[in-house]
Amino acid sequence: MNRSSSYIQMDQALCTGCVLCMKACPTKAIRIRHGKATRDETKCIDCGECIRVCPKGAIKAVTTWSGKTELSSYSVVGVSPVLYAQFGNEVMPNDVLLALRKIFDYVYDEAYAHELYSAATELYIKGNRGKEDAVWPLISPVCPVVNRLIALRFPSLLKHLLPFIPPREIAAREVRKRFTKKKIFGDHEFAVYHLSPCSAKMISIKEPMFTETSYLEGALGINDVYEMVVRHLREEDEDIMLHVSSGAGIGWGMSGGEIAGLDDVSCLAVSGIQETIRYLEKIEMGLFRDIEYFEFRSCPEGCIGGPLTVADKYQAKGVLQKFGRMFGQGKRVRRAQAQRAYQEGWYLSETRKIRTVKEEKRLSIAEAIARQERIEAILQKLPRKECGHCGSPDCRTFAEDVADGKLTIESCFVLNPRS
Amino acid sequence: MPTLSKRFSIKARDYLRAGEVSIEVQEILKKIGFGAELIRRVSICAYEAEMNVVMHGGDGTLHLFVDTSAIALVVKDSGPGIENIELAMKEGYSTASEEAREMGFGAGMGLPNIKKNSDSLKIDSEKGRGTLVAISFEVKGP
Repeated sequence: MNRSSSYIQMDQALCTGCVLCMKACPTKAIRIRHGKATRDETKCIDCGECIRVCPKGAIKAVTTWSGKTELSSYSVVGVSPVLYAQFGNEVMPNDVLLALRKIFDYVYDEAYAHELYSAATELYIKGNRGKEDAVWPLISPVCPVVNRLIALRFPSLLKHLLPFIPPREIAAREVRKRFTKKKIFGDHEFAVYHLSPCSAKMISIKEPMFTETSYLEGALGINDVYEMVVRHLREEDEDIMLHVSSGAGIGWGMSGGEIAGLDDVSCLAVSGIQETIRYLEKIEMGLFRDIEYFEFRSCPEGCIGGPLTVADKYQAKGVLQKFGRMFGQGKRVRRAQAQRAYQEGWYLSETRKIRTVKEEKRLSIAEAIARQERIEAILQKLPRKECGHCGSPDCRTFAEDVADGKLTIESCFVLNPRS
Repeated sequence: MPTLSKRFSIKARDYLRAGEVSIEVQEILKKIGFGAELIRRVSICAYEAEMNVVMHGGDGTLHLFVDTSAIALVVKDSGPGIENIELAMKEGYSTASEEAREMGFGAGMGLPNIKKNSDSLKIDSEKGRGTLVAISFEVKGP
């Protein structure tokens, strides 16, 4: 537990030592040791796959809200459109925002920032066509899990990430600027939070990849506020319009929503962590040279499949599709406004800090080749049942653990049924 | 000097599993810790060579050799062989089947791409006798 920034917590008391989280982990960060799941936090990308599969509810994502019943100071909350999809067909985005206003001091619709972002992405792509040093395909930097996955497992693809600050950060920056200038809360301190379905937002705020520091103070999970919103939905409505986005901005909540806003760009949307890995492997092998932009979302069906949601992802998708038809696919943002902001460098990333992965010990190439030989030799002896009974996720990883002296081959339950 | 040697088999016309061998090669090289750019080049070549076997070859094998100074891929198949190697090296020249093209393969960039991304490429083939492609890469630096 030396990485203080871990926001995925495993409750050892509830853990029964089954293999489900270990098997689900895309970076093979989890092992079962002494009957309990343990995790190598340097390999964790905060995707939340383990949260999804744990039958005991022993794994939880920590948010700013965790253990609290209210937030200190004036709270300003940016809302992911995924929230709008949690309350069925009859509840409109504006109703949800009005209900939230009764809980927090100020709320804003992030979907509008999504529309601006799409316009800027389109300008960037079209402006870089035909340039010699341009990198294709570009990869969306919006999903923080995908960014961390690339840093950890596909570092040669880091240069493919669109060098933009994610829209939730841009929205928070602009709100912060405006509120400070207009002294909305007088001289009082205020804090900006992101309300989202995502278990990786906390880490992306603590260790941002595209800004020096985050413009957000923290993140709240949709499941943190769900019941409060439902309670307030029944109350008398005020008559103000907080919802400003069209169906195009709202559609970002589901897979394909981001690229739907890109006109005349050759692009592809992929969702789900395993599918994302497959595609990143192929991009690394030089495929998809005809694609200009990839939207990757680590959650199945996109952010509506996030681990901190309440509604079923397919029902949520139905709701977002209905809003799409209702509010139309035309962007509400003015093109000229988007263009001016783009030219002023609104979107461009300030930095690109790569979260370096500290390995236990860095082997020399000769040592690493020798290790790989040992792994292959051990693998030859294994039954390849991929059962996970040994406490490693698969036979190859078990062979690695044996080669590294963490386990002995006797721990293989199939080879040694009495072990 | 430690040398890693590993053989993979490739099945002809198995488009569903095509690319799996290259992904495994890529994983092994990443585990060893070679530079990202070198791995990218090897991956591209492994994939192109694997696809050539899937598209044209009878069944075949990819043999990976790794030591501290070089990485080599030796790809053998029992397919129809290459009639004119010089022509096959030309960009856009393809003898791929309709089936392969329909799936988006066979654009005639395979061997030229391998040539471009490797340090050495040797092809030994004759019509009716299968094909052997040997690709190697220098490992520079510490």
